[in-house]
Amino acid sequence: MTRPPPRPGRAPALLALAALASACAHSDMSAVDPAGPQAGRIAGMTWYLTIVGTVVFIITIGFLLYALWRGNRRVESYAGEGAERHIRRWVIGATAVTTAILLVTLVYDFATGRALARFAEPDALTIRVTGHQWWWQAQYIDPDPSKRFETANEIHVPVGRRVRIEVRAADVIHSFWVPNLHGKVDLIPGYTNTTYFRADRAGIYHGRCAEFCGYQHARMDFLVIADPPARFAGWYRDQLRSSVPPADSVRQVGEQVFMGTRCAMCHAIRGTEAGSRVGPDLTHLASRGTIASATLPNTRGHLAGWVLDPQSQKPGVYMPPNQLKPDELHALLSYLQSLK
Amino acid sequence: MASTEAHLPAGLLSPAERELLHQTWSDRPGFWGWVTAVDHKSVAKRYIFTAFLFFILGGLEAAAIRAQLARPENHLLDPDQYNQIFTMHGTTMMFLFGVPVQLAMAIYLVPLMVGTRNISFPRLNALGYWTYLIGGLFLYSGFILNTGPDAGWFSYVPLAGPQFSAGKRVDVWAQTVTFTEIAALIAAVELIVTILKQRAPGMSLNRIPVYVWAVLVTSFVVLFAMPSVALASMMLAMDRLVGSHFFNPAEGGDPLLWQHLYWFFGHPEVYIMFIPAAGFVSDIIPVFARRKMFGHTALVLSLVATGFVSFGLWVHHMFTTGLPQLGQSFFTGASLMIAIPSGVQVFCWIATLWAGRPRFATPLLFVIGFIVLFVCGGITGVMVASVPFDQQAHDTYFIVAHLHYVQVGAFVFPLFAAIYFWFPKMTGRLLSERLGKWNFWLFFIGVNVTFFPQHFLGLMGMTRRVYTYLPETGWGPLNLLSSVGAAMIGVSVLVFIANVFLSLREGVPAGDDPWGAHTLEWATASPPPPFNFAHLPVVGGLYPNWERGADAPVVTGLGNSHREVLATTVMDAVPDAIQTHPGPSVAPLLVALAIGVTFITGVFTPWGFVVGPVLLFPTMLMWLWPRRKPAAERAWCEERV
Amino acid sequence: MTPRQTGNVDVSGLPSVVFGQRALLWWGTLGFALIEGFSLVLTIASYLYLRQNEFDWPPGRTPNPDLLIPTVNTVLLLAMIVPMHAVDRAAKAFDGRGVRRNFAIATVMGAVVMTLRWWELLALNVRWDTHAYGSAAWAVVLMHSTLVIVDVFESATFCAIFRHGTAERKHYPDASDAAGYQYFLSLAWIPVYVVVFWLPRIL
Repeated sequence: MTRPPPRPGRAPALLALAALASACAHSDMSAVDPAGPQAGRIAGMTWYLTIVGTVVFIITIGFLLYALWRGNRRVESYAGEGAERHIRRWVIGATAVTTAILLVTLVYDFATGRALARFAEPDALTIRVTGHQWWWQAQYIDPDPSKRFETANEIHVPVGRRVRIEVRAADVIHSFWVPNLHGKVDLIPGYTNTTYFRADRAGIYHGRCAEFCGYQHARMDFLVIADPPARFAGWYRDQLRSSVPPADSVRQVGEQVFMGTRCAMCHAIRGTEAGSRVGPDLTHLASRGTIASATLPNTRGHLAGWVLDPQSQKPGVYMPPNQLKPDELHALLSYLQSLK
Repeated sequence: MASTEAHLPAGLLSPAERELLHQTWSDRPGFWGWVTAVDHKSVAKRYIFTAFLFFILGGLEAAAIRAQLARPENHLLDPDQYNQIFTMHGTTMMFLFGVPVQLAMAIYLVPLMVGTRNISFPRLNALGYWTYLIGGLFLYSGFILNTGPDAGWFSYVPLAGPQFSAGKRVDVWAQTVTFTEIAALIAAVELIVTILKQRAPGMSLNRIPVYVWAVLVTSFVVLFAMPSVALASMMLAMDRLVGSHFFNPAEGGDPLLWQHLYWFFGHPEVYIMFIPAAGFVSDIIPVFARRKMFGHTALVLSLVATGFVSFGLWVHHMFTTGLPQLGQSFFTGASLMIAIPSGVQVFCWIATLWAGRPRFATPLLFVIGFIVLFVCGGITGVMVASVPFDQQAHDTYFIVAHLHYVQVGAFVFPLFAAIYFWFPKMTGRLLSERLGKWNFWLFFIGVNVTFFPQHFLGLMGMTRRVYTYLPETGWGPLNLLSSVGAAMIGVSVLVFIANVFLSLREGVPAGDDPWGAHTLEWATASPPPPFNFAHLPVVGGLYPNWERGADAPVVTGLGNSHREVLATTVMDAVPDAIQTHPGPSVAPLLVALAIGVTFITGVFTPWGFVVGPVLLFPTMLMWLWPRRKPAAERAWCEERV
Repeated sequence: MTPRQTGNVDVSGLPSVVFGQRALLWWGTLGFALIEGFSLVLTIASYLYLRQNEFDWPPGRTPNPDLLIPTVNTVLLLAMIVPMHAVDRAAKAFDGRGVRRNFAIATVMGAVVMTLRWWELLALNVRWDTHAYGSAAWAVVLMHSTLVIVDVFESATFCAIFRHGTAERKHYPDASDAAGYQYFLSLAWIPVYVVVFWLPRIL
C-alpha cells in the first residue's frame, strides 16, 4: 500500500469562506447587498447557487477522497461483472441526481429571468444614459419637454419608484452596472438597450463601466443616489433651473476664463453661451459629490488638479491639460464651485 | 534493443533489414535535418517545447498583471502598458499555448497509440508547426516594437476597429490569429485522417483508447470552430485596412456580428483545450489505479456529446448585450446540460479510483488536483450559465476566477499529469518524483490562493481588465492575497523547469514501460525509434499493452526501403492498402515563409495578398512536384501496384 | 466483424495505388472541403445577419446586382464538372493522356471563371466600402474566389505533372481526388449565387 497525500482540512476553508462572504455583504458596491427587488431576486439566485454548489462540491470531493482512501487500502482491484454492475448503479444514481439539480436550477433561472423582465412599467422615471469614453451622460426624459435636463456621472432616483434606464453608446461598447440595484446592461453602438430597477432604500450606490473600453475603463465610475421622494423632487427642480449666474466679480472673471479658454469648447453650462456636448454638462457641477467620473471627490483642491492636468489623474482621457495663471485658476474654481 | 522486441516474436526483421528501416525513416542529420524533418515525433517535440516557451511568456505577463494589481493605485504599469500586457496574456495563453500544446501532444501520441509509423500527412504537419512559429514570433515582434495589440484577446469592436484603435496593433493581433488558426486546422485534418485510416489491424472503433477518441472529437471541433474566428479576424482586418463596414453601425454594420462570430469560435475553443485533457485523465487513471477504466462507452459518448453541445453555448458570453430573453434561455439550457457529460466523466474517474489500488505518483497527484479544481470551476460555470446571475457576474473577477479554475485546473493540470506521464516515453528518462511533488503542491495551493478570492472580488464589484482600483473599494487585501498566490504559481513553474532540465541530464532511465501502462506507445522503446514500431502490432482488445503476450501477432510485409504505412478500414481496422509517405523536405518551411510574407505584408497593404501568392505558387509547386527518381526506383514504384 | 488475429498479418500483397476513401489523401481533401465549405456557410450567415439591420436590401439607393455575367459564370462553373468527371474516369483507367487533356480544359475554364469573376464583382453594383451590404456581398464572392484560384493552380500543376511523363501510378488517385474537389467547388457556388445575386430581388 502506498501512502496517500495528506488531506487538507476542510474546516479552516469553510471558516474563511464565511468570513469572506460577510466581508462583501455590506458595501455600496456589492451584488449580495441588494437595495432593490431586481438585485434582490438575483441575490436570492446567487445564494441558492452558492449553497447548492458548495454542497455538491463537498459531496463530490468527499467521494473522491473517500475513493482514494478506500482504494489505497485495497489488496486487489475490485473488478469483474459484479463490480461493474455495482459501480454502474452509483454512477447512474449520481448522474440522475446531477440532472435533477440542473433541471431545478434551470426552472429557477427561467422564473427569475421572467420576473426581472416583467419589472418593466410604462410609468417609470426614464433616464437616457449615453456612455462615452470615459464618462456617463444622463438625460432625464419626460413627456413634457420643459421637464427635461441633462447631467453627468451622478444620477439621482427616487426611493420606491421604478426607473427605466435607456442606454446608448456614443463611441465604443460600455456596460452600465450598479451591483446593489441590478445586473449590468451593455451599451452597444447602434443599439438602445433598456433596463429597469427600483431602489427601496435611500443611499449612494456605486456603479462602474463593466466592458473594456480603452485606457480609462478602470476609472469610468458613476453614482446612483437614491433620495426619499421629497428630496428627489427638490433635486429635480434644482437641476431643471438654468445655471447660477456669477454673483461677484471673482466669479464673473471665472466665467470669462471658462468662456475664453478651451473649457467652453467641450462643456455646456445652460444659461450661458457654452453649449458643447463633447464633455460632461457642468450646469450644476457643484451639486455633485464627485468629479472625473466619480473617481475624485468634488473639492476645490481636486478640481484644481483636474482642471490643470487631467492626464495625471486619468492618463489617456480626452481632456487636455490647461495652463492657467494662478489668479485665473482661482477665479475659475470659484465660478465652478458656485454652479450649484 | 532486445527489450523493444520483448512483446514481439523474434526474427521477423533481420538486423540488416532493421538498419535499412532505420535509415529509411530517420531525419537527416544536423541542422538541415532539423529543418527538413517530417517525423511526427520531431515536429511534435519542438511544437510542445515552443508552446511551453509561450506558456512561460504568458505567465510572465500574468505576473506583471498581478504585481500591478497587488496594491490599489499602483504605478508599476500605466494604462497603455497594462492593456497591452493583459491582451498579450490572453492571446498567448489561448492562441499560442492552449490549443497548440494540446494538438502537439496529440501529434506526438496519436500515431504511437493507434500503432502506425507516422502521422497521415507528414509535410503538412511540418507546415503547421512553421506557420504557428511564424505567428508567435510575429505577435511578439509587434509587442517588443510597441505595436502589440491592446484591445483584449477578444478584441471587441468598435474599440478594436479603425476609429478607436489607431496604428497596426490590432492588425498584428488579427494576423496572429490567422497563423495559429491555419496551424490548428492542419493538425485537426491530419489527426482525423490518422485516427480513421491508419489504426493498427484489429483496433476497431470499440478498441480505440479514450484519449484518441478525445483527439478525434477535438479535431472536429477545431474544424468547425476555427473558420469562424478566421472569418471574423479577416473582416476586422478588412474594416481596418480597406474601409469595409462589417462592424460599423453607421453604415449598416454591427458590433454584435463580431461577438457572435468570435464566441461561436471562442466557446468551442475552451473545449478544444478541455476535451483532450479529459482524454489524458481517462488514459492515465487506469495506469495509476491499476484497474481498467470504468465506463469506457460512457466516457467516449460523454466526449462526443461535449464536442457537439459546445457549439450551442456561445451566446452565454453575450448575456448582457440585450438579446431577446427567449433566445438566451436556450443557451442557459445548453450551458447547464453540458455539465451532465462532464459529470459522468468525473463519476467514472472517481469510481475507477475507488475500485482500484491507487499509486500516488506525480501524474496521479495532478489528476486528483484536476478533479478538485474542475468540479469547482464546473460549479461556478453552472452559476454563470444562469442569465440573472451572469448579469451580475459578467465581466467581473468572478468570471476571471471561473475561467482560471477551468483553464488552469481542467486543462493545465491534466497537461502536467500528461507531461509527467509521457516525458519518459519522449525522452527516455523519468522526471524526478520529489521535484514533481513540490511542483504539484506549490501549483495546487498557488492556484487556489490566486483565484479563489477573485470570486469574492467579482461580487464586490471589481470589474475585469482594469489597470488599477481605488483604495476605498476595499479590494486591496484580496488582490494582495491573489498576487501572493500568483507568486507561488511562479515558483512551482520554476520547480517544473528545474525538474525538466535536471531529469534530462540525470533522470532515471525509463525503459520501454516504466509505469506498466496499457496503451500501445508503451510497447516500443523510450524514446521510440523513428519508425515507431519495428513491426506494427495487431490489436485484440482495449488495453493492448496489458493484453499482449510475448508472441502477440504483428504486421509483416511492410517495406523497409520506402516510407510505407498501412491504411486500414474506418470501422474495423482491417488492413486495406499501403500508402507511401514523403521523406524529409524543406518545402514546408518555404511554404510557411510564403504564407508569412503574405499575411505580414497584408497587415500594411492589401497588395500583400497579391505578392504573397506570387511566392506561394512556386513553393507549393516545389512541394507538389514529384521527386525525380532513378530508373530502378521508378520501376519498383510502378510495379508496386 | 473484427477478425480474430491468431497469427501474424502479412500485408505485402496489399495494393499501394488505391482510389477514393481507401486513400489517405481523399480524406484530407474531404477535410479541407469541410473547412472551406463551413467558412462559406459562416460568410453567408454573416451576410444574412446584416440584412436585419436594414429596411431595404440592398440598402438605400444601391441597385440590385446584375445577373448576366454571374449567370454565365455559374454555368461555366457547373460545366467544369464535365472535364473533371472525365479526369476521374481517366484516372481510374490509368489513362495519362486523358487525365492531362481534361486537366488542361479545366485549367482554361477555371482561368476564364477567374477572369469573369472580376466582372462579377463589378456586377454587384456596389463597392465593398460603401456600406455593410457591399462589404458582405464582396466577402461572400471573394471567399469562394479563393477556392477557384487554388483550383486553377491545382489543375495547372496536374497538367504539368502529367505532361512531362513525371507522373507515376500513385498520382492517378490524386488526380481523381482533384476531381472530387472540383465538384465541391462548383456546387458550393450555387448557394453563393442564389444568396448574393437573387436574394436581394426577393427579400
